[in-house]
Amino acid sequence: MAEPELLLDSSIRFWVVLPIVFITFVFGIIRHYLSLLMTSEKTVSLEQVRDSQALIRCRNLRENGQYIPKQAFEMRKHYLLNKEGIITKGKEKPSQAKNPMTDPSMMTDMLKGNVLNVLPMIVIGGWIQWTFSGFVTTKVPFPLTIRFKPMLQRGIELEALDASWVSSASWYFLNVFGLRSMYSLILGENNAADQTRLMQDQMSGAAMAMQQDAQKAFKGEWEALQITPHQNALKHIEDIVCMTHILPEDLYTTEKIPSVQAATS
Amino acid sequence: MDMTWDEASDTLREWRGMSVRDSEQVVELGERLVRDYSSKLQDELWLVCEQVFIASLDTGRFDLANLCLDKLKEKFPKSSRVMKLDAMGMEAEGRFDDALNVYDELEKLDQTDAAIRKRKIAVFKSQGYTSLAIKHLTIYLQSFMADQEAWMELADLYVKEMDYKKAAFCVEELILSNAFNHLYHQRYAEIMYTIGGQENLETARRYFAQAVKLSSNTNIRALYGLMLTSGSSTQSRGDTKARNSKQYANWAGKMVLSKYKNVWSEGGTVDETKFLPKITPESDLPQLTASVSQMLGQISLSDASS
Repeated sequence: MAEPELLLDSSIRFWVVLPIVFITFVFGIIRHYLSLLMTSEKTVSLEQVRDSQALIRCRNLRENGQYIPKQAFEMRKHYLLNKEGIITKGKEKPSQAKNPMTDPSMMTDMLKGNVLNVLPMIVIGGWIQWTFSGFVTTKVPFPLTIRFKPMLQRGIELEALDASWVSSASWYFLNVFGLRSMYSLILGENNAADQTRLMQDQMSGAAMAMQQDAQKAFKGEWEALQITPHQNALKHIEDIVCMTHILPEDLYTTEKIPSVQAATS
Repeated sequence: MDMTWDEASDTLREWRGMSVRDSEQVVELGERLVRDYSSKLQDELWLVCEQVFIASLDTGRFDLANLCLDKLKEKFPKSSRVMKLDAMGMEAEGRFDDALNVYDELEKLDQTDAAIRKRKIAVFKSQGYTSLAIKHLTIYLQSFMADQEAWMELADLYVKEMDYKKAAFCVEELILSNAFNHLYHQRYAEIMYTIGGQENLETARRYFAQAVKLSSNTNIRALYGLMLTSGSSTQSRGDTKARNSKQYANWAGKMVLSKYKNVWSEGGTVDETKFLPKITPESDLPQLTASVSQMLGQISLSDASS
């Protein structure tokens, strides 16, 4: 190319490109500190601790039960699985908080999450699209196919414009998702400023799934332990130990033994 | 020790991560940091303060402990973690009742705080109320039943009370949580051996053997135990069994003897022996060797007479 097909006004740089970067960045930082202020600490109840530790203990028993005597194994199995046993109870306990609407603390948590994450994104995004709409802000330094046009040129519907030009609205979205490393540089890991993490949370619904899984975990553990028989891993262990390390003089004596026996008898 | 302040803080951080409790060294490194470089450490200062505080309690440096505690109290006036440290200071000074009061308060605030409940048990233990400590520890273990440390402690307490069956239960729990630690197997075998009786002796023998196997023949205590258990179970039972256990005792005894022979001759140069701790004193070796050989002699004697 002899000369660029499009010459951008240099004041676009000062009044559009940099302000968008600045706004998204500052907004991310503000949100980080706001969420630090507003998050309620998640408290774990004693019952939850007991449940999770019981699951661990049950799993240990299943995996390493072969190393303890049969009687000890059966005793533990009975303790965990009898009618009043902790695993049985956990299995039968109705999973709490099935409906987040009935649990007010969860409601507020969700509301806070929404207020902090979704609402400002809509407001700021809308404001940016309204204020800075219609600018061609920058150009990516490589050619792109026409498929990239809706991604990079949101807000500008021009047939003739090359796909490597980026519009202001798209520049905003690029910033929203692209500033992650900047945030982790300034705010440290696990900051709340990052939008992409929020997206992942929404996809998996991680917090809700865990609650319901407790009952399932108990059920799985109960069934697995029920069908685990006791095997004795220590059978003939003495023989194994003695066989695997033969002393040099023993080699000699085993050869000699018949003659010794013959002599004594 | 010549270290710049950042080297010292790096070392302390590393020790915090690996939970090394070399209190004298920590005090030596940390005192300078806390006194002279507190502004340079920034946020890490509080962690260093906590570490140095505990270390200075260990070494009886109450002046340094108070300095750290004052800094922490000033920064976090309402923190339960700092209150816990405060109470630990009381413990170190011997004011157990005051410390217990603080721990009770803290426990009311957060029932799931394992560290505070453990400290309470530690107070009972240091006061000498073993049965009370056992009682609280069992209550603790009803909720935190996967806590290995607590099971280990409970086993020790039961052994102290000579309640070996219950101690065996605790060690079984330890074996379940980590089946490849030969020390747990060895401990279980020792407890079984202490209970006594033919059946328990056989169990003990099996677990000593397992400990020997897991430690790849290096655990001399387990080897010795294997020898003793096999040797003492030779008196009764049928022919093949008796002959087998004689064989085990013979093997273990010879292993022990060869270990004794090599303890001081293997290392060679002074540098190497310095890093390999050798607990067995050299002057005791002839006596030990003699006793083992005597036992071996007895076994072979009974072998010949049968």
